Amino acid sequence: MRVQPTKRRFGFSIAVLVAVAALTAVLVAAASAEPNGKAAKGGTYRVGWESSFGWTNSFDPTGEYLANAFAIYSNLMLRNLVQFNHVEGAKGNIVVPDLATSVPRPTNGGRTYTFKLKNGVRWGPPLNRAITSQDVKYAIERLAKPKNGAQYGFYFNVIQGLQAYGKGESKSISGVKTPNAKTIVFTLSKPAGDFPFRLTMGAAAPMPKEVAGCFDGKPGLYGRYVVASGPYMIEGSDDMDASSCKTLKPISGYDGKTTLTLVRNPNYRASTDSRKARESNPDSYEFTVDTNIDDIYNKIGAGELEDAYATASPKVFREYTVNASKRKYLHSNYADGTYYITMNLTQPPFDDVHVRRAMNWVMDRQALRKAWGGPVAGDIGEHILPNAMLLGKLNNFAPFKTPGDRGSIAKARAEMKLSKYANSNGVCSAKECKNVLLITDVRAVDKATLPVVQNGASKLGITFTVRSVNGAYPVIQTTSRNVAISNRPRWFKDYADPSTFVDPLFYGGNIIPTGNTNYALVGLKASQAASLGIKGSINNVPSIDKLADRCQALIGNPRITCYAGIDRVLTRDIAPWIPYMSAKTVTILGPTVTKWDFDQSTGFTSLAHVAVKS
Amino acid sequence: MTTVEVAADVDVEVVGRTPRQLFWLRFKKDRAAIAGGIVIILLIFLALFGGSLAERISGHPPNEPYSNMTDDFGIPKGPNADFWFGADASGRDLFVRTMYGARTSLLVGIVASGLAVAIGTTIGVMAGFFGKWADTTLSRGADVMLAVPYLLISIGIVAACSTTKEGCLHGWLQPGLSIVILVIVLFSWPYTARVIRGNTLSLKQKEFVEASRSVGAGSLRIIGGDILPNLVAPIIVLATLLIPQNILFEAALSYLGLGVPPDQASWGQILADASGLYDVAWWLMLFPGAFLVVTTLAFNLLGDGLRDALDVRTDR
Repeated sequence: MRVQPTKRRFGFSIAVLVAVAALTAVLVAAASAEPNGKAAKGGTYRVGWESSFGWTNSFDPTGEYLANAFAIYSNLMLRNLVQFNHVEGAKGNIVVPDLATSVPRPTNGGRTYTFKLKNGVRWGPPLNRAITSQDVKYAIERLAKPKNGAQYGFYFNVIQGLQAYGKGESKSISGVKTPNAKTIVFTLSKPAGDFPFRLTMGAAAPMPKEVAGCFDGKPGLYGRYVVASGPYMIEGSDDMDASSCKTLKPISGYDGKTTLTLVRNPNYRASTDSRKARESNPDSYEFTVDTNIDDIYNKIGAGELEDAYATASPKVFREYTVNASKRKYLHSNYADGTYYITMNLTQPPFDDVHVRRAMNWVMDRQALRKAWGGPVAGDIGEHILPNAMLLGKLNNFAPFKTPGDRGSIAKARAEMKLSKYANSNGVCSAKECKNVLLITDVRAVDKATLPVVQNGASKLGITFTVRSVNGAYPVIQTTSRNVAISNRPRWFKDYADPSTFVDPLFYGGNIIPTGNTNYALVGLKASQAASLGIKGSINNVPSIDKLADRCQALIGNPRITCYAGIDRVLTRDIAPWIPYMSAKTVTILGPTVTKWDFDQSTGFTSLAHVAVKS
Repeated sequence: MTTVEVAADVDVEVVGRTPRQLFWLRFKKDRAAIAGGIVIILLIFLALFGGSLAERISGHPPNEPYSNMTDDFGIPKGPNADFWFGADASGRDLFVRTMYGARTSLLVGIVASGLAVAIGTTIGVMAGFFGKWADTTLSRGADVMLAVPYLLISIGIVAACSTTKEGCLHGWLQPGLSIVILVIVLFSWPYTARVIRGNTLSLKQKEFVEASRSVGAGSLRIIGGDILPNLVAPIIVLATLLIPQNILFEAALSYLGLGVPPDQASWGQILADASGLYDVAWWLMLFPGAFLVVTTLAFNLLGDGLRDALDVRTDR
């Protein structure tokens, strides 16, 4: 989910559109349904965690970028100014008030947001004091400083004066004002239609300076001292002595490596929260790392665990699908993610759009999906952005649809004939099509999809030099490696806005030498190539930057329509990807779970709405 | 009372036998070793022609995925009339891939062992023959290599060389077979060097070496004319015992994802792919596993037989 900074210029006011969007949000939020199932208080919800926690910043909210951490923070531990209701479907992607009394309408041409905090919301033990606007301000100040390791801090660069503060050029962030303990005002340097979404992320949750401040300049260390503002806290929080930095000891309920136990926060008042957002049924949650994935699912089957943060294998899918008595324990929900094969626009033969389009035509998407477990793992991917994020505007857009989704050699070769590399039969015999560098990973699923990619490409005369890497992302994210094609990538939203796909994955201005997520190099300018170490066809690389700039300044329905337009251009006209699966999250539940819902905002179990036999 | 008369005039013909004849007399009595040798000959034939033969018989290229050979969940289907060994997780013909895997495994085993024995012999002879600082340096070097955590180093080398099209060392070292062979050689030669050094230390005290030295033979001549010919037996034995070890080493590297590229069949690779599916796709484990066991067993039996036949002190 890592995303790179966006560098944009906005030049016009969007007040009217902001109003429409805000109204829409309020109406839809009000219409949110109560989650299904029976709720019973008490018990422990136990989750098996595959291999390791895999934190990106040791569970410190300022830098933690793991989706599972987002789920734990937002459902259980932390309250933001605004948040989601943690339910399935489109209504789960709507921003609703959390600490704030309402989702504010932006003023000042879409550049100012004023939030009022609710009364009666207090920090959990050991602080036990009221949460104030100063705590929100401190969280923003903390993420502004690079030394604190805010891995998605770029989302907040749009706040006026934030970068200057981060560089030490000013003593405060000019775009963050706290006129009183219950009010915080954000002023943006330019309109950003998705700013409320950005405030739902863990780093924007209020932070107590008296504890978190002890770890300034020490990224990740606060992770074992996180003070709760939500319904649950780390077990043992009340034993922490926060009278000074020297007296702080790690909270006992989280050992940093294998177990995280959450218990009820005695200071949480449900009256300050919405039951639609958090039911908080279990008395506690236990997250336990288990290196044996079979063991996790065996324990779930035996009722020793309720849930898993793990990738269930096809054999588990089959067991829970074919066996009628187990079918009710399997849930498959759209996760707002796309699995794809990426092609580099600067590397022959993929510098020719006809080759890329031919690859889209020839690929057996059905076989690629099978490698992940078949239909239960997701729908066939026809275009880049998940349908739910476009509110269904491209549901019928499938420019490379073939019978049975098996691919079409005839259509692929017809397209290939138009390429500069192919002969009159639509097969490439040029040297550019031979031994093309393909990076794959050592994971079983990548090994399973690789022959499908090779087989499809071979029909067009394209062969690969395959490099199998244990951890392929760093390689394909390094521009100087000039990777031509990879079957490793998949992408999930950071929050429910199409910009979290378009900006990091296709915006030319965001291409960086390492950690680059625009693998296809869409929008690369020839002037960038040398500093990025890119060798290949660097001239006339197609770009969507102007379109993206235009969409970013919009809000509401026009914004979604705009991004749908970008998706059309990308999928059909530029074709940097072969999207093959619109991913679902598959959840296998234990027999002890009495109530369950899916959290669309995080793409996992809605921990806020589960219940378990006590 | 009976008496035994010994015919004093019976001619007893004493037949002189060469060392080679003595070796063969002893070796051919070892049926297990003979069987091992026959199996190895068959395996070599399999490695050379098995893959293409299997491809021709079945009509299935080794990297072609057959969607009808996986179920709706992507789980491979088992053996049938068209797919004798069933299919792997991608729906590829396991029979064809197992046959091609023989080539990879034997190639790695034989080439890597040959190189390791050559390097180990050279270093062992030099250390044993020249002694003093040469022995100290080379023997400690071997000790260092034996102390190195080879899997960690292997992971490092493979990781460093597997991310670009060119490989490493300006393309001299390509990911895949060449790296696997390099890694195996790097960590296999010290065992040979140790054994050969010990043998050389013993040989250089022998009278025939002293005799050569007394008539003015130089070091190289003594090594080439007196030492090496007497090391042939242990070298052959070492090589035959090292081959199965290295076949397993390759399998282990492939199992960890450090071996040959995924589109190149090897038994270790197939076994690695089976690790998550063995309980629902037994054939993935059985066929390559059986070939691996038979191959290592055959080389071990042959090695044992050669050792017994070449060195009378170990006679059973």
